Amino acid sequence: MIALPRDEVRNVGLAAVLLALAPLPVLGSSYYQTVLVHLLVVAMFAVALNVVFGQTDQLFLFMGGLAGIGAYGTALLTDWLGITAWLTLPIAALFAGLVGLSVSWIAAKRKFTVVLISILTLNLQLVISEVLVGARDVTGGSTGFAYTYFSMSEIAEAVGLGEKLVLYYLSLLLLVCLLLAYVWLVHSNYGVAFQAIREDETAAASIGVDVVHYKVVAGFVSAFVFGLVGAFYALEAGYILPSAFAFQTVDVLVLIVLIVGGLRTTLGPVVGAGIVVAIEEILGATLTNWRTAIFGALLVFLFLYFRSGVIPAVDDRLAGIGVMSDERDDKPDDEPAG
Amino acid sequence: MVTIGTMVAVAVDGIAFGVFLALLGVGITLVFGLGDVLNLAIGAFSVLAVIFATVMLGRGQGLVVAILVALVAVTALGLLIDRTLLSLVYRSEGEERILLGIFTTLGLVIFIDGAVSNFYPARYTLPLDVGVVPVGGAAVTGSSLVIIAVGVAMLLVLFAFLRRTFVGKATRTVFQDERGAQLVGVNPRRIRTLIFVLSIAVAGLAGIVFAFGSNVSVASGFQFTVYALIVSIVGGVRSLTGAIGAGLLLGIVNEFANFFVGSYVAMIILFGTAIVVLVAKPEVIS
Repeated sequence: MIALPRDEVRNVGLAAVLLALAPLPVLGSSYYQTVLVHLLVVAMFAVALNVVFGQTDQLFLFMGGLAGIGAYGTALLTDWLGITAWLTLPIAALFAGLVGLSVSWIAAKRKFTVVLISILTLNLQLVISEVLVGARDVTGGSTGFAYTYFSMSEIAEAVGLGEKLVLYYLSLLLLVCLLLAYVWLVHSNYGVAFQAIREDETAAASIGVDVVHYKVVAGFVSAFVFGLVGAFYALEAGYILPSAFAFQTVDVLVLIVLIVGGLRTTLGPVVGAGIVVAIEEILGATLTNWRTAIFGALLVFLFLYFRSGVIPAVDDRLAGIGVMSDERDDKPDDEPAG
Repeated sequence: MVTIGTMVAVAVDGIAFGVFLALLGVGITLVFGLGDVLNLAIGAFSVLAVIFATVMLGRGQGLVVAILVALVAVTALGLLIDRTLLSLVYRSEGEERILLGIFTTLGLVIFIDGAVSNFYPARYTLPLDVGVVPVGGAAVTGSSLVIIAVGVAMLLVLFAFLRRTFVGKATRTVFQDERGAQLVGVNPRRIRTLIFVLSIAVAGLAGIVFAFGSNVSVASGFQFTVYALIVSIVGGVRSLTGAIGAGLLLGIVNEFANFFVGSYVAMIILFGTAIVVLVAKPEVIS
């Protein structure tokens, strides 16, 4: 076990405190609570993408499909087995993880480039979408069904908060765990191996780094988190529909969030989610019909001109005026935390 | 009991769908082979061509005039995209360029979809009024025959252009060896512009022939792009004849699967084929 870098943990803690306080000014507004839960869910998706795409350059374009496997899997298993969704969720997430693991394994074994993985997973996404719509008997087809699993009412009564607020703090807890796990991962031997593979795969393999192993682990972890968070995503909507797990709905959103926030930064997913969800809500109030068009233009613009993201840009500014000396990976990974 | 006549009719519809797929696949293959850009927005141009043609029809133009105007309009739009977005993409090299191309054209297709669906939210079809044609005891869809005729003519013109004209030969030189082409005085960037614009015209025509037989909505754009990707993957991304062969094969397979086991399974077969080919022969695209 290695110690986590203190400044990273401090930043995660700071973000956690801010997010924990966020619902207080708008207490009682169901609308804002829904928006905030959505923000957390999107941020968690982006953390997962940050592992597989950010760390190992495997562009998964079936994030919606993986989330769908988690959400539908949880619901269907709960109905079939008659046990609580808290038990079926890990099973469904594990299944999503195994799908990710298989894809990464095939891709790594056959030395797929980033383009190949993206096209392969895009095709898988479409298969999953077709199955969700087509298997009408089990999924309810394109009309879906109400998602009323994970009874929160007992917890809500016990702590004296609204159900939505309970869901919010539960999601926040999960997000903080994911962020800390991310920090741990990139500062462990895995992070070192990821970096070596990113820089030169052949060179990394020649000094004994098991490239296939590391890519498969990243693929599994990421897909598992997508499956896990997928259930929260359905829970937030209260209703489950194939279109909610479509490429255009999930993948595009999560990609934009991660790029806006900053690829390979710890807080990038959270900051990106905050910015994108805010844009979404502002547009929702004024220019609903132009939401898709604006997101498309944003994706083009971000990729052409702004690929490093907000967090690195802010870090550079702060470093420039000497507020923070080093935020990113440029110091030794195993520095004792104090 | 399925009669021979029905089989023939399904086969002709399959070939028509195959010709449509081949046109889309050729559109992707041309641009990827020449500039390493996977044009994920290609389907959006097909839809735009249908919408332009519909608008012209609404203004009282004849079908042929409407189609020609629509093709000129999407081609002009293609030129604009090439001069702006693609010029930025071509600044990077290798894998970086491929990735940038994917994101830029993906953003473009989302932008076009989002913007256009505000003004043209319905489904559109181009009325051909040819009905059903009896061919040796089989009742063949007339629009399928027109699609096959128009599509094959377009592909023949394209091949004649690439094989016979000087610019076509220069294009094939850039395909094979960019440095060599530059040394003998061919400007690869201008050839790329020409081919991109050409691929957009082909995609526009693909959309138009598709609309002869079926409804097209803005949402079809993304679906067309995915078809195009599948065709070019199965055909080997850099081979034009491969794209045409794969398009015809997949079109026929899809139509028979559609007929015997239903459209959802037919779709899954289509996507599944692409996955199997990618896993079995990943070198087709790299």
